[in-house]
Amino acid sequence: MLLVQIIMSALTNGAIYGLIALGFVLIYKGTGVVNFGYGDQVTAGAYFALITMTFFGMQYWPAVIAAVLISVLLGMLIYGLFMWPLRNQSLLARIIATLAYGTALRELLRAYMGPNAWPFPFLLSPGAVSVGGILVVPANLAIVAAALLVLSLLYLFMERTFMGKAILATCDNRLGASLIGVRVSNVFLSIWILASVLATIAGILVAPLLTLSPDMGLIGIKGFTAAVLGGFTSLPGAVVGGLVLGLLEALAGTYVSSAFKDVFSYGILFAIILVRPQGLLGPLLVKKV
Amino acid sequence: MIVRLAFSAIAVGLFLLAPHALRDYQLFQLCLIAATAVIVLGLVVVTGMAGQISLAQSAFVALGSYSSAILADKCHIPLWAGIPVSAVVAAFVGFALGQATLRVAGHYLALATLAFTAIVQLILIHADHLTGGAAGMPVPGFAIGSLVLSKAGQLYYVVVPAVAAVFVMVANLLRSRFGRMLAAIRQSETAAASVGIDVLRCKAMAFAASAFLGALGGGLLAPLTSYLDPAQFGIIQAISLLAMAVIGGLRSPVGAVLGSAIFILLPDVLQHFQTYLGLVFALLLCVSIIVRPDGLASLRVNPGRSR
Repeated sequence: MLLVQIIMSALTNGAIYGLIALGFVLIYKGTGVVNFGYGDQVTAGAYFALITMTFFGMQYWPAVIAAVLISVLLGMLIYGLFMWPLRNQSLLARIIATLAYGTALRELLRAYMGPNAWPFPFLLSPGAVSVGGILVVPANLAIVAAALLVLSLLYLFMERTFMGKAILATCDNRLGASLIGVRVSNVFLSIWILASVLATIAGILVAPLLTLSPDMGLIGIKGFTAAVLGGFTSLPGAVVGGLVLGLLEALAGTYVSSAFKDVFSYGILFAIILVRPQGLLGPLLVKKV
Repeated sequence: MIVRLAFSAIAVGLFLLAPHALRDYQLFQLCLIAATAVIVLGLVVVTGMAGQISLAQSAFVALGSYSSAILADKCHIPLWAGIPVSAVVAAFVGFALGQATLRVAGHYLALATLAFTAIVQLILIHADHLTGGAAGMPVPGFAIGSLVLSKAGQLYYVVVPAVAAVFVMVANLLRSRFGRMLAAIRQSETAAASVGIDVLRCKAMAFAASAFLGALGGGLLAPLTSYLDPAQFGIIQAISLLAMAVIGGLRSPVGAVLGSAIFILLPDVLQHFQTYLGLVFALLLCVSIIVRPDGLASLRVNPGRSR
């Protein structure tokens, strides 16, 4: 019984990690940059919804839609201000640029919304319901459902629409895609917008479970770990990685020590990078010269 | 030669003059800038010269300040001995970390160093009996024999000359064979390997140097701030340190001083806008990475020499 309960809570955390990892993987696959500002984008997304609800008096769903629209703008801004001007710079400069805009977002929120935590509404009731002796929390199940929904929508978008196929083609071979008439700069722009929207959705879902403060973006590290577990290039791998991480963390927290739960998951990140950088599911990396 | 001598004479003169011309608080800031500049100098070596991104610098700073403070507290080893010892130990840790992680480049390195910082911070928080846990620990005074240096005006005579010596050494190191090897690796690892440079070993050495400098700077900072709080050694601080290096100029030792000076003096300049402090610094970072990826120090008349 205990084990089932652990798995239930692990599933929720895992879905959160997977949801965040999806954004990392999307950007890395598409543009070759690991986005260190993504965690802060997740925080900003939740704040967008919070601001429209608290200061403009919107209801939950209109606020979510408004937040998604704002995040489209944010995605364009990030691409236009940072990633486009730096497209020919070294990888180092681009990694630092993602750190830079993440820090700017975080400090912007700290300056205008204060350093303290804000309450954030749940999508479904946070009260636990007993189903056959197991406590189930609707709000947590909603996160799992949403993560799966986002994954399947993303999958459909990639496989069934023209834009999605253009993105996949660009990920595969930039030059080849541009030769058959794909506008690579447009594809990059749409990847940054898509990732920004994903971040906002993730932020709105996880904000009620975590504390919504400017430093919530540190959850991004868990997203990295999930993405690395899944191989960093596979979208389903990101979600699987998230779930595996959630499970490992919950097991370590219960059977070893809850104090070292986080050490354990950062340790996993470290160990995987050292031992198997291609991830649990990823194909073998061959570096070409 | 004469220019260099004159330059050194002016520097020594300024150094001796400063305690008479400046107030105690300004001397304190000067010491803070000097100690922070050493930490940032570590990033100049590993990120600027060798081109390897490191988010582990605040972990090495923590290693330096905590271990020298613990050595002084538990083993009664005075700070003047404890700080260099801690820095050497940190260098070995850095070398090991480098050997392990530098086989993977770019992103994975950033991620691995990020994880390292997070782990070190969590260990500081959970090892209560040694580090005082989340509440932190006080730093014992900087004692030389029976004389305890407590005021900034006294620490100034230790911190600033030590930092100056380190800067001269590192600047020379970067102009040496080793520095050129790092520059070669930064530009192309394959090309560097093809002319016989042991790339992995060199990168690990650069990492060790950055760990040494980080721990040394951390050790010097500890008696200045006189209290260690584990919240000060996290990922956000690692990013701030990288930001200082970028704003000042990633490839120049002078840039390390400039970047730290801006970071330390900004709160004074923006006295009435404390809320926007972090934002202003973040925007500075954004602007400098977009407009001048080489940083402030590249604005000098003769920037070609630093490459």
